[in-house]
Amino acid sequence: MKALHRGILAGLLLWPLLLAAESKAPAESGIREDVQTLKQQVLELNRDLFLLEEELLFPSNTQISVFLSMNVGEFFQLDSVKIKIDGKEVADYLYTQREIDALVRGGVQRIHIGNLRTGEHELVAFFIGKGPKGRDYKRGTTMTINKGLGPKYVELKIVDQTKNYQPEFEVKEW
Amino acid sequence: MPKLRLQFLLFWIWLAVATNGFAVSVKPHEVRDLHYGEILFHFYQEDYFTAITHLLVAQKQTNLQHHQQESELLLGGLQLSYGMLDQAEARFNRLLDEDTDPELRNRVWFYLAKIAYQRSRHEQAFNTLQKIGKPKDKKVRAELALLNANIHMEMGKDAEAAEILKNASAPEGWEEFLRINRGIALLRAGDIKEGQATLDKLGKKRSDNEELRALRDRANLGLGYELLRKGEAEQARKYLNRVRLQGPFMQAALLGAGWADTERGDYEQALTPWLALLKLSSHDAPVQEAHLAVPYAFTKIGDNKRSNYFYKQALDFFDQEQQYLGDAIQAAHSGALVSLLSHRDSDPGSSGGWLNEHPTLEDVPSGRYLVDVLSGHKFQESLKDYRDLGYLKQLLHTWLDNISVYYDMVDARRLAYEKRAPLVRERLNKQEAASFQQRWQEYNTRIQDDRRSGDPLKLATGKEKQQWTTLQQMQEKLSSLPAEPRFKKMQDKARWLQGVLYWQIQSDYKSRLWEAEKQIKELGNLISETTRNNQHVTDALSDVKMGFNGFDTRIETLRGRIQALLPRIDIAREDASGNLQQLALEELEIRRQRLASYRLQARYALARSYDQVSQKHEGEEQQ
Repeated sequence: MKALHRGILAGLLLWPLLLAAESKAPAESGIREDVQTLKQQVLELNRDLFLLEEELLFPSNTQISVFLSMNVGEFFQLDSVKIKIDGKEVADYLYTQREIDALVRGGVQRIHIGNLRTGEHELVAFFIGKGPKGRDYKRGTTMTINKGLGPKYVELKIVDQTKNYQPEFEVKEW
Repeated sequence: MPKLRLQFLLFWIWLAVATNGFAVSVKPHEVRDLHYGEILFHFYQEDYFTAITHLLVAQKQTNLQHHQQESELLLGGLQLSYGMLDQAEARFNRLLDEDTDPELRNRVWFYLAKIAYQRSRHEQAFNTLQKIGKPKDKKVRAELALLNANIHMEMGKDAEAAEILKNASAPEGWEEFLRINRGIALLRAGDIKEGQATLDKLGKKRSDNEELRALRDRANLGLGYELLRKGEAEQARKYLNRVRLQGPFMQAALLGAGWADTERGDYEQALTPWLALLKLSSHDAPVQEAHLAVPYAFTKIGDNKRSNYFYKQALDFFDQEQQYLGDAIQAAHSGALVSLLSHRDSDPGSSGGWLNEHPTLEDVPSGRYLVDVLSGHKFQESLKDYRDLGYLKQLLHTWLDNISVYYDMVDARRLAYEKRAPLVRERLNKQEAASFQQRWQEYNTRIQDDRRSGDPLKLATGKEKQQWTTLQQMQEKLSSLPAEPRFKKMQDKARWLQGVLYWQIQSDYKSRLWEAEKQIKELGNLISETTRNNQHVTDALSDVKMGFNGFDTRIETLRGRIQALLPRIDIAREDASGNLQQLALEELEIRRQRLASYRLQARYALARSYDQVSQKHEGEEQQ
């Protein structure tokens, strides 16, 4: 019976050993190197395809991009953002927690890319979220943007107002 | 043996910390280029492929003027996260020159050390780490200490590793990671007392955070097993008792608790955790082992009847498990494993990467064994490659579809151009802009002449000119009439009216001249703009045509590149799946052997038990 005890105990101790063996870093192999090279080549190809797509669909002379960023306190939780240009809705975006976290950490989202003729256009944006105590909170802004030659970048920034600590839009043309 | 287990713990702690660590290190103070912020948006979501693509695009479009060095560092970090170690290493090395900012250089060395560590080049990792100056950021310092300690432990310098961690100050959220690593380093170095004290403190710590609770469980489990191995069963039980029954280490803890009891001779007590394990609908190693341990405990307390019952139950269980395992091995051979992985590739929004959820296997026989195998981190690297390749393949197929659409789009634009271009050309051929320019030139010369002549009548309006002529003609007619007083009076009046008219025109002359010159200037601007536009249209007519041809060439080149890469991806994917299959089969074989060993032990024990009973009966009969 003692032999069995020893056997079982060996089994017990084998269990963590099996796990431990898994901790070894995977050996560098030809497959891994091939995968790395392929990744690099696909990334470069993807970049070139991306550039082609942008040049075809959104030529720089008519291109407009709207970006969204955030600089708010912890009492505001963003739900969605809606954007209209010249009365036409161009974006209605619902945010996931992961996206909100990325925005809070300093990420900037390109929420819309499209085409506009040169001249003046009206941009209207709304954001909806939850304020303190879970209350619905909605704010909007209207602005005239002047589209010239070359791509136009507009940044919509949701920021806390210093006077009341409530988030508002700040608009910046780049 | 314990060293390997400790390595396992370290590996996971390191992985958990490493992911956050990079994010901490690259967070900028201020986003000064929108496109850089956009890259961060994807990076923070751990969507490395998209982040790298956007970064490469932004670099090509020179949209990162304010973050040039940072973006290079970020690209290296992204490549590191995306499993492109060679490219990351080469990039980091390129960043190291005399002009590199010292802070940036420290970060580069840190990542180079990390890469060397990941590649098990511990000496190189150690040497690289020595070049790093003391960073200001507390989190970065803690991250460095952790990496340094891990490298030392890999080099067998456990005591030094423990010392490094002892001296490291822990920012918020890092204390537990540093402590568990230090505890493990101390145990490895043979300082059981200090290691126990370190892990004991961590094991008692309360937390609302699931990650930290799991870490606490790990510390208690590791310490419990270590003490059990050292023969300190009483102490071992104390730590194993602390492991949560809802946590991921519950099964191992229950099994260990039972063995701690048997070591103390308390077999009845050992049955409590072991029987609890039997009630679980799990097929993991601790449960398998409990099937053998329970009848063993009954034998020890002299209850042969129950012992035999549980041995028989164990044999049935092992037979059934062997059957499942056999099916799983067959399924792995037949490629069911690969079909399962392909299924997971269809996740929307996924760009490959780690398998975060356990796959479900409704249609795969004995699927849970495959799931177990897949969940093991030994497979995760290979699985990540396989999934990444699946995503790349899917992506390139999408591009292949899109690129045909773009080709049609360019074609449609070419047709529209060919339809409109002749009309535009015809209009251009009329030389309207040149004609306008010529007429403007004439007006301009006239106004300049008027200014030089100083004659206000030149700027008289049409009506005034008409009035002037009428009065002139009237005077001529009156002068031809007889010299009568009434005609003389009329002639004087006409002359007076002409004088008034002249006075009016002259008094407005300056403003008229200013207005005329202003208008001719504005007209000149308009005509210049028209001439420029005219030239743009003329240039565009030929450029657009060249552009179409340019797009055609680009599209064809890109299509060729896609088509050249797809078969290579397929081959690499096949290799990766073959590799995975091999790993799975090896793992399943280990399990099969273990199960066979358990089964043999159960049969042997049962046979012995029967022998004992029959010997007892024979003895009784002889008496």
